[in-house]
Amino acid sequence: MAEEIKADKSMDLKGLPCPMPVVKISKGIKDVAVGEVVMCETSDPGALADFPAWAKTSGNEILQTVQEGNTVKFYIKRKV
Amino acid sequence: MDEQTRQDLLKLFESKLNQAMRLYLETCSRCGVCTQACHVYASMPQAKYIAAYRAEIVRRIYKKYFKKQGELMPSLGESKSLTDMALTELYEAAYSCTGCRRCMVYCPFGIDTQMIMSIAKLLLVGAHAEPEILTMLADTSIAKGESLDIFREGFLASVKNLEAQVVEKWKAEAGETVIPVDKEGADLLYVALAGAHSIIPAAAVFNAAKENWTLSFFEAVNFGAFVGDPSRTKLILNRIVGEALRLKVKEVCICECGTAFRVMKQLSGKQPFKVSSVTEVHARYLREGRIKLDKSRNPEPVTYHDPCQIARNAGIIDEPRYILKHLVQDYRELAPEPIYNWCCGGGGGLVALGEDTLDFRMKSAKVKAEQIKKTGAKTVCTACENCHTQLSDLSAHYQLGTEVKFLTSMVADSLVK
Ligand code: SF4
Ligand code: SF4
Repeated sequence: MAEEIKADKSMDLKGLPCPMPVVKISKGIKDVAVGEVVMCETSDPGALADFPAWAKTSGNEILQTVQEGNTVKFYIKRKV
Repeated sequence: MDEQTRQDLLKLFESKLNQAMRLYLETCSRCGVCTQACHVYASMPQAKYIAAYRAEIVRRIYKKYFKKQGELMPSLGESKSLTDMALTELYEAAYSCTGCRRCMVYCPFGIDTQMIMSIAKLLLVGAHAEPEILTMLADTSIAKGESLDIFREGFLASVKNLEAQVVEKWKAEAGETVIPVDKEGADLLYVALAGAHSIIPAAAVFNAAKENWTLSFFEAVNFGAFVGDPSRTKLILNRIVGEALRLKVKEVCICECGTAFRVMKQLSGKQPFKVSSVTEVHARYLREGRIKLDKSRNPEPVTYHDPCQIARNAGIIDEPRYILKHLVQDYRELAPEPIYNWCCGGGGGLVALGEDTLDFRMKSAKVKAEQIKKTGAKTVCTACENCHTQLSDLSAHYQLGTEVKFLTSMVADSLVK
């Protein structure tokens, strides 16, 4: 498994109602500086699909996706 | 606002002026019947929250630019120029209206304030003055439709992870796929939301009913509709229509999301599949004896909140009651007639705006909280994600002591062989 990236902020976005995972990550990423990394965790299939699409739309970058049992961790670098 | 922007916005305004809209804009007699019909006004009696007052903000611009000067049209009142100031008023009017259409059922002319507010929302989109989070959510949905490949494998793996929780509710037969995805030739395409809670119970019920079903890659919700942008609405909708055609399904079943259901039902056009809400599908399974429920699991008093977009605006009123008759021992109605049920106060994109609208959502839905309290119910169930979030917030804010549940979850938890 690839080495885990150091995150500047962590967010637990598991089990949230629609559309809070995407709303929270778009707000949360603004709490770190450009170039810093947010780690967010989800276990919801739709949210998992939403993050790459959100990153593409918002111009941020998913550095790594780590599957751990039922949860998935995204490491997202603030680019804009 | 520069002249070019104004002209562009007026073109957008004009694109909304079909016969029905013109009628709504020209007919109000200012009788005031709609005043008390709006939960926002009933909870916070201020003139700006009267349905006809909201409509008047749009109507004045209509009079200024789309009616000939001097034409006798007293119901139109004063005219007003389209300025930055007018945009601020349009924002306040549109984003304090949940689009519940309760005012419409009271209005003697059936004036649709929600439809008039759709002009306000479109002008705000045109002026880039809409809540940007809603546009961002809509664009995320569109990007998903364009790049299935980037999430396909992850989505499939994560769906697989939910199987054990589905089986806990209903044991699948040997060899049966617990959550089928991308299954060509399935009869029914189920379109869920992002959360596992929108997939697990529904899957258990489909399997119990022996449905030949498949799960959609896409989420049902349509943020293009919330933000009032017809082109984004269509793009988001087309992802699901395209998937349904590709898989050759006979029915598209929309999860517990009011706006998703109304948009799919009313805007998907003539298609070789029918569109149903998950509530209709569950009522059908019960009627056909394909599932059985154990009422004794729900002895406490339960009430049902009719989501405006599913009940008043799409006519699904009898089906949830038919389910509840088989599901709970002590059912209590919220309103004497479901069509006059108070809106929960969370529609129109307000819940999606999260914490930013929380204070307004709580204050403007005081009448809803009182309505729930009067029933004495311990559980409020509903069939819409937005309503569920808003009702849970209301329960906490007004200390109602009620638990809010999804109807589908209650059905799944009461399945018997
Ligand atoms: S649609 Fe609902 S929220 Fe909007 S003005 Fe009418 S009653 Fe009020
Ligand atoms: S009830 Fe209808 S006609 Fe009367 S004020 Fe309201 S919108 Fe106008």
